Amino acid sequence: MDLLAQILVNGVLLGGLYAVMALGLALVWGVLNIVNLAHGAFIMLGAYVSWHLYTYLHIDPFLGLPITAVVMFALGYALQRGLLNLIVRAPMFNTLLITFGLEVVLTYLAQLAFSADFRTINPSYAGNSLQWGPVTLPVARLGAFCMAIVLTVGMWLFLLHTRLGRAIRATAQNLVAARLYGVEPRHLYAVTFAIGIALAGAAGGLYGTVSQINPYIGATLTAKSFAIAIIGGLDNPLGVIVGGLFLGIVESLTTLYVGPTYADVASFGILVLVLIVRPTGLLGKTA
Amino acid sequence: MKAWQKGSLVVALLVLVGVPWYGSDVLVQFGISTLLLAVLAQGWNIIGGYTGYASFGNSVFYGLGSYGVAIAMVQWHLPFGVGMGFGVVLAVVFAVLLGIPVLRLKGHYFAIATLALSQVMAAIVSNIPLAGQNIGLVLPPLNNDRLFYELSLGLLVVATLTIFWLTRSRFGFGLIAIRENEEGAAVMGVNTTLYKVMAFALSGIFSALAGGIHAYWITFLDPDSAFDISLNVKMIIMAVFGGAGTVLGPIVGAVSLSAISEFLSSEVTSIAGLFFGIVIVAAVVLMPRGLADMFRRFRKTGWRYFSENIRAHKL
Repeated sequence: MDLLAQILVNGVLLGGLYAVMALGLALVWGVLNIVNLAHGAFIMLGAYVSWHLYTYLHIDPFLGLPITAVVMFALGYALQRGLLNLIVRAPMFNTLLITFGLEVVLTYLAQLAFSADFRTINPSYAGNSLQWGPVTLPVARLGAFCMAIVLTVGMWLFLLHTRLGRAIRATAQNLVAARLYGVEPRHLYAVTFAIGIALAGAAGGLYGTVSQINPYIGATLTAKSFAIAIIGGLDNPLGVIVGGLFLGIVESLTTLYVGPTYADVASFGILVLVLIVRPTGLLGKTA
Repeated sequence: MKAWQKGSLVVALLVLVGVPWYGSDVLVQFGISTLLLAVLAQGWNIIGGYTGYASFGNSVFYGLGSYGVAIAMVQWHLPFGVGMGFGVVLAVVFAVLLGIPVLRLKGHYFAIATLALSQVMAAIVSNIPLAGQNIGLVLPPLNNDRLFYELSLGLLVVATLTIFWLTRSRFGFGLIAIRENEEGAAVMGVNTTLYKVMAFALSGIFSALAGGIHAYWITFLDPDSAFDISLNVKMIIMAVFGGAGTVLGPIVGAVSLSAISEFLSSEVTSIAGLFFGIVIVAAVVLMPRGLADMFRRFRKTGWRYFSENIRAHKL
């Protein structure tokens, strides 16, 4: 019983991190209709930015998150404005391909710049943990979980209650009408993509505190982000919390009861099942 | 097709058939891997180019074909030909069982579902003892590159003839109708589910055969290399770069990209992968309909061809 409680808590902590990983992907997909296959590569880059800040400038990974996010925001804005805006109206297949091309480029550049070695961000409190009844809570994972929830809820409030957030949602619903109301789409698309990439970067920074990083972690993280976005649906940022927690718990339970090599079977199998049964997500509106 | 075009095709084919007799070992090996990639690109062309379903799951067929040969030869001590047949059976079973639910999905959703399926298959295979789990299988070596070359070439010819047949058969027209407007095709009496599953299976058969030849040639396979997603992306890039939905485009794409990538990796190893990514990005922006379309229209429009492509899709 204690073991089950511990596994569930591990799943929940992991799930929070998963949620923030998928948040940027879901935002870009929902608003720009671009399925960003390079999303995981941006998470990887964010993790490296965080790692450099910590290793060379001794900035705590949690305090350094805003810097990571700003750096990634700038990169995202430039990419959308300079490159992706050129193909936004192309068939969806072309956008899939170009983001895959970006993934390859980013991964190889990262490999050239950072080498293929595994890196870890190990602040002094990395090994500490809190005891809560029979359950152990590792401090770094708990911190990452809390940050993830703050970011996701913050994103939700931002989209609901700010002028820019409303413009983004309006564009997602109807680009032409939004344009008539004075939204400048080139800039707005770039800002939306940049926010998505900044979130990916922040997720990467958090990921680096709980797991090892190398240039090749991106592809799996992209796939997981998809699974979460699909399970949670694209309509509501809070959906990714549900999707993330669901995936985190399922993976933890599968690892315990079936075996660690089956964790991916479970998560991607669920993704396929959800797609077949409810393509708009478990929580999404029916089409 | 004019007489000189037919003639030059025959000459090109004869030149290709003769490569193992006058070419160097390195050239023959490059030939085998390029021909197999071209087969994969042609296989993808059937489901992606003609039917319009962007499959990221064709590497599953390739993996099933590889494992079909490997399991038959290593575990059951059967001949290579039986293994190829076993691989094809696995691919067709997969195409029918999973094709029926997954081909109901459209656009991004189909692409993602097939992407997820290939991850699931890799994870499942790495848990099956018969398939050697994570460690993989080692096949009995056969040092006969000439045979592998001619097998691959023959397979490519058959795949290309099949696609040529698509461009002038009822079945092929049905697939193109599905690509252009699926509801419309259904209204016109095309059994869309049957056609899509058949296209998926046909595409899978060629990928599985390519996988089988590759496994026996390399004599080793493990789940990661057999179900490699980047291989799937490679076949898509090659098909799209040459011209998806054309008969010869994917071959042109496979040969030109393999040649450039081979040249680059002999010069600077780490640049070859980077080059691939840059080609994808540039091709999608500048020539989204591939080399075939560019050759056709470039004569008329000149350099404006590229700027017109950008203007058509930018925000």
